[in-house]
Amino acid sequence: MAATQNNAADSLRLEKITKVFPSHSGEGEVKAVDAVNLTIQPGEFLTLLGPSGCGKTTTLRLIAGFEMPTAGRILLDGKDITDQPPNKRDMAMVFQSYALFPHMSVFENIAYGLHLRRLSRSEIKSKVDETLGQMGLKGLGDRRPNELSGGQQQRVALARSLVMEPRVLLFDEPLSNLDAKLRIQMRSEIHRLQRRLRITSVYVTHDQIEAMALSDRIVVMNKGQIEQMGTPSEIYHTPATRFVADFIGRANFVDATVIEQAGSRLVVEVLSRRYTVPVRFDYSPGMPIVAMLRSESLTLCADESLPQVVVEQAMFLGSEVEYIVNIGGHNIVVVEQDPRGKSPIAEGQRIGIDFAAEAIHLLPA
Amino acid sequence: MLTQRRFGAGFRRILQDPVLAISLLLVVLFIFIAIVLPILAMIGVSLSEEGRALFGHYLGERAYQDIIVNTLTMGLSVATVGTVIGFLFAYVQVKVKAPFKRFMHLIALVPIISPPFAVATAIILLFGRNGMISKGIFGVRYDIYGLTGLTLALSLSLFTIAYLNFKGMLQALDPSLEEAATNLGASKWHIFRTVTVPMLLPGFAASFLLLFVEAIADLGNPLVLGGNYEVLATRVYISIIGLHDNVAAAVFSVILLVPSLTVFIIQRYWVGRTSVVSVTGKPAGTPQQITHPVVRWGLTGLVLGICALIISIYAVMFVGSVTRVFGVNNTFTLEHFDFVINGYGSDAMVDTTTFAIIATPLAGVLGMLIAFLIVRKAFAGRNIIDFGTMLGIAVPGTIIGIGYLLVFNNPITLTLPFVGDNVPAITLIPKLTGGRAVLGGALAIVIVYVIRSVPAALRSGAALLSQIDPAIEEASISLGANNAVTFRKITLPLIRPAFLAGLIYAFARSMTTISAIVFLTTPQTRIMTQQILNETEQGRYGNAFAYCVILIAIVLVAIGILYLTVGSTTGAERSLEGGA
Repeated sequence: MAATQNNAADSLRLEKITKVFPSHSGEGEVKAVDAVNLTIQPGEFLTLLGPSGCGKTTTLRLIAGFEMPTAGRILLDGKDITDQPPNKRDMAMVFQSYALFPHMSVFENIAYGLHLRRLSRSEIKSKVDETLGQMGLKGLGDRRPNELSGGQQQRVALARSLVMEPRVLLFDEPLSNLDAKLRIQMRSEIHRLQRRLRITSVYVTHDQIEAMALSDRIVVMNKGQIEQMGTPSEIYHTPATRFVADFIGRANFVDATVIEQAGSRLVVEVLSRRYTVPVRFDYSPGMPIVAMLRSESLTLCADESLPQVVVEQAMFLGSEVEYIVNIGGHNIVVVEQDPRGKSPIAEGQRIGIDFAAEAIHLLPA
Repeated sequence: MLTQRRFGAGFRRILQDPVLAISLLLVVLFIFIAIVLPILAMIGVSLSEEGRALFGHYLGERAYQDIIVNTLTMGLSVATVGTVIGFLFAYVQVKVKAPFKRFMHLIALVPIISPPFAVATAIILLFGRNGMISKGIFGVRYDIYGLTGLTLALSLSLFTIAYLNFKGMLQALDPSLEEAATNLGASKWHIFRTVTVPMLLPGFAASFLLLFVEAIADLGNPLVLGGNYEVLATRVYISIIGLHDNVAAAVFSVILLVPSLTVFIIQRYWVGRTSVVSVTGKPAGTPQQITHPVVRWGLTGLVLGICALIISIYAVMFVGSVTRVFGVNNTFTLEHFDFVINGYGSDAMVDTTTFAIIATPLAGVLGMLIAFLIVRKAFAGRNIIDFGTMLGIAVPGTIIGIGYLLVFNNPITLTLPFVGDNVPAITLIPKLTGGRAVLGGALAIVIVYVIRSVPAALRSGAALLSQIDPAIEEASISLGANNAVTFRKITLPLIRPAFLAGLIYAFARSMTTISAIVFLTTPQTRIMTQQILNETEQGRYGNAFAYCVILIAIVLVAIGILYLTVGSTTGAERSLEGGA
């Protein structure tokens, strides 16, 4: 695992954290988070990524203290904070709905936490003003939240947390209410701010692009458990499970037949051609495996010597063309990037498919 | 083991916050002592040996069976008529293109601030044996006493509940549903039958059941208009006031409690859950209004007719308060007002208003606090707290009154064991009712005002709170505020409209309540509604009407003051949408 234990005294640590909710029907229980172990390094930006219901938000709320774990411990700098109420934890949360106080001005919203710390009036004013400037909200201090645009509201929510200079910043899908353009803009702003301030951050999202763009490390969750933990590039290129491969990026799964094993490499037959590929999981002979091929690693070219596919659908997307091709009754998605000057391949046409051995990532079937 | 920790988790979180823990403890204690204990005591007495014998006697004998049948018949007929009137008002208000809508709306709200007996007495003067309309216009000696009169008086007093219920539902109905039906070729009548009414079925059930509970609990109207038509509530009253028989009163109360509670529970936990109305927050588009002349003028005429009836009832009250003997000696006089303001009634006026002023903020804050605990704090037993609070209004007022007599007529003391006889017992709760009660029984009356008003405040608070994103409060906590600060600085300002509604209701309810306090007044504490009852029973309608007019004036002034002081100046509720 990527998380190292030697820095434990200076980090946020989840030890076998479990959260059980009674199920909606009232009968039985639902394990929202199942014995999760996780260490977040100081200054690290860590993202919890997964489909809805995977336990990522519950994990975040457990860290914040809004939920009490059914079992396990949470440690901050080696100190057990499991039973500490949320207002005593030196953390600040940015909410999906922004959760601005609608009856207070922007200034009052940002000053709220500082008032509670009993800072002097002048100190509060200078800190709030500085944060307003930093977040590009100068001159909006007297406005009410409902007089702001969505992007501005998001900035106020972020400013309200940042001004507290918390030990840990928590983000609960903060960009999901913004329109696509604004989302990309805020994404880069959060990235810039966090890299500059280096506040330890835990970020929850179901948007894989957002996760890859922002994170030092991504934790992919599924059914309350951690599927994989690693840098964005590790998660993307060498997913540990079929679930991870499928959830992140566009993946094709193609049957692979093992011909022979050579140490940590396997000779496999994929689309009736042979490749020697490293294997990154515990392979035992006879185990069924599949080859994962990213859509952008595949190319289509008119070459009779290559395996032949039939183009079923071609969609022009501007920066790329997406083809759905069929081989032996099996559909594969192929993406051709930068399609300038080329005319798209016609639907119904037979064409060869090609990829390098490095494009193949083997997984247990 | 996992399960144990989970149940414990919610409580542990509450115990970590002393203010929250103490509030919760006080709420639980209050609900138990002020609501649950009196009801249990009353049930306990009814199950004594003497009580059990009476049960057999009452349930087996024809005369008493008739009383039970009378009570249920009255409940059903009031529930039916009141629901229909309420629906009619709401339908015309929301769905029909009609004139004078604002006027109709205000008339429909009048019963909220109306004192008891006013409607009943006015109906006697209008439709009774010597009624202005029945005898004066039609020349008949009509006997309005009994089921007809009760149904008329109670329906006109209670239909507001149904009206507000239906109005909210009709406004929340997504117009696109009806647009879709129209688009598929349905006529207006077809839409009404196949879309509107089925969507409102839970509303019909809820209104019907609520009106039923309110009707069978009512004491004031049967006392004035009942005649020979006896119902359980009046039986309870006569047992205490006339016969001083606590056990008989308790037995009648339990017989009354069974249908009341059953219907209340059905309404709250079964009908309440099956709402099919799609409240999406923002209705898309404006609802189409009915312009067909027959429907439009037919319904509007009907509603305006009922409005005219209500107005004539209150006109009788106003005119009656300034005439010597209404219908007999119609000369102008201010002596009735003199009697109330400067004479015998002035104490009642001051006492009642003072008690209501004390009870109102208590009920408002308590209602918001319980709403906050129930909606926002996940702990085992919050449903019990909810139910316990609702009992304050679900149980007929007479039953609450008897419970108080049974529990608080003697001080509740604790004698410490093993300390010997010379250490006096510790008084936990002083004597609250009857002669030599603490503060002349005022404390008991204020507590009863509070418990009768808290349920409405709780419901409006809980309804608004569940529409407010919990993340707003979590944000406050995340920024370092504890629960008390969060409640004061975030929650309470955000639910201010519900708080205001709760306060208005509490004041109006306190000023106009009779059944729950009729057994609790003492010579030192005079209550206006009690005085109105006395004057009505003596046939001194002028005095009774003067009391009513002054009572209404006090309530209206109080509502004005509440709007000015608590009413929104910040537009918090308007900005909810944008911020949340």
